[in-house]
Amino acid sequence: MVEILMSRRVAQIVCAVFGVLLFLLFFSNHPTAKAVTLTVTTQYWQVIAAFALIVGAVSFMRVNFKSMSRKQDAPFRAVGLLGMVAMPILALGWGIGGSSPFLWVFENIQAPMQSTVFALLAFFVASASLRGFRARSVPAAILLLAAVVMLLSRSWFESTTSNILMVTSDWLRNYPSMAARRAILIGIGLGSLTTSLRLIVGIERTWLGGNK
Amino acid sequence: MKKLESRHWAFLGLAVVVVATMLLNFEPKLDISPEAKRMHSFIDSLPAGSIVMVSFDHEASALPEIKPLALAFLRHAFSKGHRLVGIALMAEGTAVGYRLMDQAAAEYNKRYGVDYAFLGFQPQIIAAILSMGESIKQTFPRDYSGHEYDSLPMLREIRKLSDISAVVSIADGNLATHWIEYGRARFNVTVAAFVTAVMVTSYDPYVSSGQLRAMVGGLRGAAEYEKLIGIGGAGRRAMLAQAASHLYVLALILVGNVIYFASRARKGRG
Amino acid sequence: MDIGTIIAGLLTLAILSFLYRDNPVYKFAEYLLVGVSIGYALVIAWKSAMMDLLLTPLFGQGDWSLVLPLMLGLMMFGRFHAKTNFISRIPLAVLIGSGAGAAVPAMLGPRILTQVSGSVVPLVGNNGLPDWSGIVVLVGVLSTLAYFFFSREHRGPLGVASRIGTWFLMIFFGTTFGYTVMSRMSTFIGRAEFLLTDFLHLTR
Repeated sequence: MVEILMSRRVAQIVCAVFGVLLFLLFFSNHPTAKAVTLTVTTQYWQVIAAFALIVGAVSFMRVNFKSMSRKQDAPFRAVGLLGMVAMPILALGWGIGGSSPFLWVFENIQAPMQSTVFALLAFFVASASLRGFRARSVPAAILLLAAVVMLLSRSWFESTTSNILMVTSDWLRNYPSMAARRAILIGIGLGSLTTSLRLIVGIERTWLGGNK
Repeated sequence: MKKLESRHWAFLGLAVVVVATMLLNFEPKLDISPEAKRMHSFIDSLPAGSIVMVSFDHEASALPEIKPLALAFLRHAFSKGHRLVGIALMAEGTAVGYRLMDQAAAEYNKRYGVDYAFLGFQPQIIAAILSMGESIKQTFPRDYSGHEYDSLPMLREIRKLSDISAVVSIADGNLATHWIEYGRARFNVTVAAFVTAVMVTSYDPYVSSGQLRAMVGGLRGAAEYEKLIGIGGAGRRAMLAQAASHLYVLALILVGNVIYFASRARKGRG
Repeated sequence: MDIGTIIAGLLTLAILSFLYRDNPVYKFAEYLLVGVSIGYALVIAWKSAMMDLLLTPLFGQGDWSLVLPLMLGLMMFGRFHAKTNFISRIPLAVLIGSGAGAAVPAMLGPRILTQVSGSVVPLVGNNGLPDWSGIVVLVGVLSTLAYFFFSREHRGPLGVASRIGTWFLMIFFGTTFGYTVMSRMSTFIGRAEFLLTDFLHLTR
């Protein structure tokens, strides 16, 4: 009985039901429709997503314990696991607001490191500019020229040159660049639309996994 | 010690350029872009006391850009007498938003629950927007600090997204797009955005079509906005260093291309 | 200088040490970051979604309609073992179906139709002269779409349109690259300011 309920067919039906429901609810302002939207989004969607996050955290622990048992970077993985476990303990013990240790760890350990990891990219961009950014062809030269104009326009200060650079770069951004981005957006929109419809109708089934 | 390669010299050069210009402690004069003026006019145009939702839709990695942008907006909004409801649709934006709202509110003697409130985080972005469209209280029964929704006087005035004058998304990714495609399309809410520089070109089509009312991007945008509202800030302080780093990158591109074309010419002759 | 600033400064330098080469100090910082980030996200999501939307209304206020979402959430734990993986299909179906259904009107209206209508603008200005910016936008959108049309070989008029589309794409990539450089430099400048001002007290 359990296997029938959890079968691929039933899962597809559930997917289709929720898909059609959310699609139709978009168009209705009826109080019942609004109540159903609220129920589906807050009680089902959000709650299941929160459980999915817990699944992710547990998977992280399992992967690290397995690697530690194989002596792969064991001390470092222990540090990671300690960090992960420490945060809920700090939150439970001292809360998550005001001058709590939880926020202190975020502000003095997590945020500085996270922004520094991204700051490393500045150096890699500089290195790539020296070693890789070549005007090998006409399209590459166009790319390079657009980038040069953009960078120069944001590097000059109050002057006639600055005005000219800014007008040029703004025109490039607001017209030809925007047009290309718009076409990409339309393309992505068409792709997302067809994928969504395929998921609802049941043509796209890769998310179901193997077996029955 | 490992021998330094060419990339190490490029790294070192960048570090020297940035550190040297920062030590100069000099603020150059900025031109203000039309985008910054547009955002400034938009916030100015809202009647005093308007309730604006500010959504911290970013990760901690973008803090060096996000913090000046967010602070400039919060200061401007508070100085105009607007009331702010803060939320976060990315987990890391929660702690950042909580702190920044308190910091800006203290500068303008704003009271929590009356002039501003911070509701916290909800994990599923689209579900959060759709549910706020029907009921903000049921999406956030309690604020970040645990106060019941109705216990805060300001929040009793707003039941759903359409009660809000505008949503300002402070984003380092494409979350402002979700506000446009779900919040604006379904509930007619006005959306504006402060974004990191890397996302600016991605949002241009939405600005052009009017779906995004205004957009300010990057540290330069923050500096321009700080200048418009007449305050100093991290954006303005960074402008010389930023200009120098750009010129450094341009110089590296030039050197790289000169070497490339010179070696190509030599191969052609040889 | 408080202990938090000292720790933040040292960890910043630990991450920056990667620029020289991968080393144990960087590795320690990296693993610590990953662990703390996951722990942080867990706490925030637990407080906002689990406590406020599920556990408090269910066990604190007796809202028994939440029993089904609770069961669906617990079924997600079926993913921990290959033999029980099939149990997680139903809650996944709810997530995927809801997302897909909500996406259809979002893609159709704001993403496709509004963007298309934004491209169709008057090509002649009020003064009777061509509006070159509008023409550029229309040509740009159409030619870039032609570039991404792979159902036919890019020959003849489609080939010409596709080549023009390539140039528009190059302009887009160039402007995006320029802004990306700005963004990355800003991030480093922010960290440099922290190190110089708060950590080393070399600037105001």
